[in-house]
Amino acid sequence: MNCEVCQLKELEVEHFEIREVLRCILHTIVFHRALGLVRPKDVDLELFEITYVQCGDVELEKKIDEKIDHFISWVEKHPNKKSQICLSFYEVKSKQPSWFTNKTERLYWEQWYINLNVTQHPKHHSSKSHHTKLVVDPGESATEERSSRRAMVEASLREVLFQIIKFVNEKKDHVPPISEGVIYFPYEITIPRKFQ
Amino acid sequence: MEMDRESGKLEQIVSQFRSKILHVILDSRVPSLHHHHHQQQQESLSHSRVRKTDKWFNLVLGDRPPALENLNFSLRNLFDPMVIDIILVHRGSCSSSVDNLYSPSAPAAGPADETVIERWVVQYDCPRFIATPSGADACVSYKKIYKKSIILLRSLYTQMRLLPAYRIFKQLSSLSQTYNFDLVYKVSSFSHPFSREEESGMKEYIFAPVEALSGCLSVSVTYRATLSDFNLEPLVSLPPKIITDYVGSPTTDPMRSFPSSDKGAHATSFPLRGARPPSSSPFQRPHSWSSGFHRGFPSTKTQSLAGSPPVYRISPKPYDIASPPTDLYGNRIQNQRVSTLQQVTAYDEYKSSPPFSPSASPSTPSYLSGTNPLRTRHCSETAPVTIPLPLTGRSTRYLSPNSSDPSRHSLPPLSPRSSKHDASSQESPSGIRSYRKIEALRAGESPSGLSNNYSAQKVVRDSKDDSGRFSALLSSSGSPRIGFSRSSSRLSFQDDMDDCEFSCPFDVDDVDVSDSSSQNTEGKKASEFTAQSNLVGKKSHDAAVGILVHMLRTAPPLRQDSSCYSTHSLRTEYEGGVSIASGFFMPRKTADALEELNSYREMKDLLLSKSGTRVVRKEEIK
Repeated sequence: MNCEVCQLKELEVEHFEIREVLRCILHTIVFHRALGLVRPKDVDLELFEITYVQCGDVELEKKIDEKIDHFISWVEKHPNKKSQICLSFYEVKSKQPSWFTNKTERLYWEQWYINLNVTQHPKHHSSKSHHTKLVVDPGESATEERSSRRAMVEASLREVLFQIIKFVNEKKDHVPPISEGVIYFPYEITIPRKFQ
Repeated sequence: MEMDRESGKLEQIVSQFRSKILHVILDSRVPSLHHHHHQQQQESLSHSRVRKTDKWFNLVLGDRPPALENLNFSLRNLFDPMVIDIILVHRGSCSSSVDNLYSPSAPAAGPADETVIERWVVQYDCPRFIATPSGADACVSYKKIYKKSIILLRSLYTQMRLLPAYRIFKQLSSLSQTYNFDLVYKVSSFSHPFSREEESGMKEYIFAPVEALSGCLSVSVTYRATLSDFNLEPLVSLPPKIITDYVGSPTTDPMRSFPSSDKGAHATSFPLRGARPPSSSPFQRPHSWSSGFHRGFPSTKTQSLAGSPPVYRISPKPYDIASPPTDLYGNRIQNQRVSTLQQVTAYDEYKSSPPFSPSASPSTPSYLSGTNPLRTRHCSETAPVTIPLPLTGRSTRYLSPNSSDPSRHSLPPLSPRSSKHDASSQESPSGIRSYRKIEALRAGESPSGLSNNYSAQKVVRDSKDDSGRFSALLSSSGSPRIGFSRSSSRLSFQDDMDDCEFSCPFDVDDVDVSDSSSQNTEGKKASEFTAQSNLVGKKSHDAAVGILVHMLRTAPPLRQDSSCYSTHSLRTEYEGGVSIASGFFMPRKTADALEELNSYREMKDLLLSKSGTRVVRKEEIK
């Protein structure tokens, strides 16, 4: 089985935007790969005027949040670096059992690479903890610049979401058959080693 | 046979797919259907039940709108395309919410611009060459098609939230605002081509088709890239208007209908403001209670203080395209659209319509019921009444909720809500008067006995009572019973009003408060005695008048020296042996005077004993 790989367009985000952006992207991907019975849940982003869809699984939401926390701590340790987070879907295949091994094997059939460039602008504070230390008089130009930057990020995020929709529509044959009682395919979220 | 079974399954998949797509689109674009679905979703979430229709494509959407069934029936031919147009209807700028209120049946003022902002086309194309797979292949085939259809539906569901129309849908779905736009839909099996101008502003997105051996399922959307041209303006709602001089329904106000009696009640009745009859009084000024009680609708919840406007901003019903001929769809839809836009008085729409401001409500009864608002109000409303003070000359004194000077106002302070009355009152005319007595009682120093009667008592407010009367049990300690004739949902009393018991008009007022005397339920002399001392700004209005009249009629000529009415005078009299307490002046013998004095003394003792005060007389000391 082929492993389809999708490299999503790079997003330039600030630190405080990471969580929302990642949640949006990861849940959108998983929603398209949660082919079991789901009760879709619309979620409005707070920072952007975008609504994405979750598959409504609490456990899934929790796991994704944990991974995002892990990613954020990694970013904090490696500031001003391009980062990547990988969402992989796999099938569990058991190796031929032998006397010595009884391992299972993961066969990845799809991988999504989310590319982020976390910036920390000196003028625009990139972390929430620095919000109180705003420039004394940012002026209208700073506000305009901030809002235009926010609009750019929103447009880019929207493009990424369209990219996901396009990809899932065009590539369907590699998706494994749906198992009874399974809501979503097994997945894992990792930070590629070259970025660690 | 195997093939037939498989092709049957495929057709079922395609048919259900079309229904599901339609459900997704309508749920994400038509506010009224979205509200309906949202409510059901809340219920289903609590019950955790999954309908059979939800299981199709593993996407739980809730109950399908009833119109969907009709649409499915009319679009049974799977090879006919299903065209779903999402239309933004913009009402004419010269129309306003207020205009719509007053002319519900008339078409909306100004033209309604309609713009197709999205067009979804679901098509199942029959291939030129149909392969005939073997049984096993066919089985795998429909499963794969089903899986791919699921993915397609997922991506469509996500896409719907990313297109520009979704923002408008969210705005129009908001219950906090009403707009001059509607989002309606039209489903047909053909599509009117766009004009060049329309096409220039539109983009197209074609979802990857799901290819089956017997056909190809494809979905495409043509949408307006930008909707910033449409200025979604929230409709101006009438600001809430506070009626500061609201007094209350005259029919619940006993002041308004004093019985004709020899006691000169009419002469001393408080003139109504404008002295107009009840039938004409409601028209003098708006009443906030009129919002929801005369409409004859089962539920008045939507017509509370916030009111409930007619729905004109949403298309209340989907277009029913049950009739087969496809070329009639447009016309039928058009007619339905106009009629539904005009159907702003339908009660069903109230469920999804945002609340109106209270001040808008006076106009809504006519709007909704189509009756003369004056006539409507006459049945259950009365004009507010100005209760002037009887002896202070302030004939235009209005009751206000915040009046706090007990010596000034003649009625106890009423909360605004409590001032709203229903005209079905059967209250006695003494209601307000007696009510004032209580206020006077509370304001003054009532004897302990009396205070035991009233201070510990709570008003028994039966909010369900639409009619009631003040009934006072002044002499006994029975629990007070107060019912106000007013709209049930507006009952509200201030605490001051809680302890009330009222007597009939012009009864001997034994609840009068005085500095030195207590209640007196016996004898004219006692009432005179107490009445006089009570007149100093603490008596209720009615009681004051009644007592005064009674005194004037029954009392002998008064002596000019009024100071003899006080207790102090009594003592002085006692000491001085001068009988001036009663104010009577006639030539008598000393014995007569003494006798009278004794009787007064006894009376006084009786009154004081009731209040627990022990009178120590000089004689006893002696």
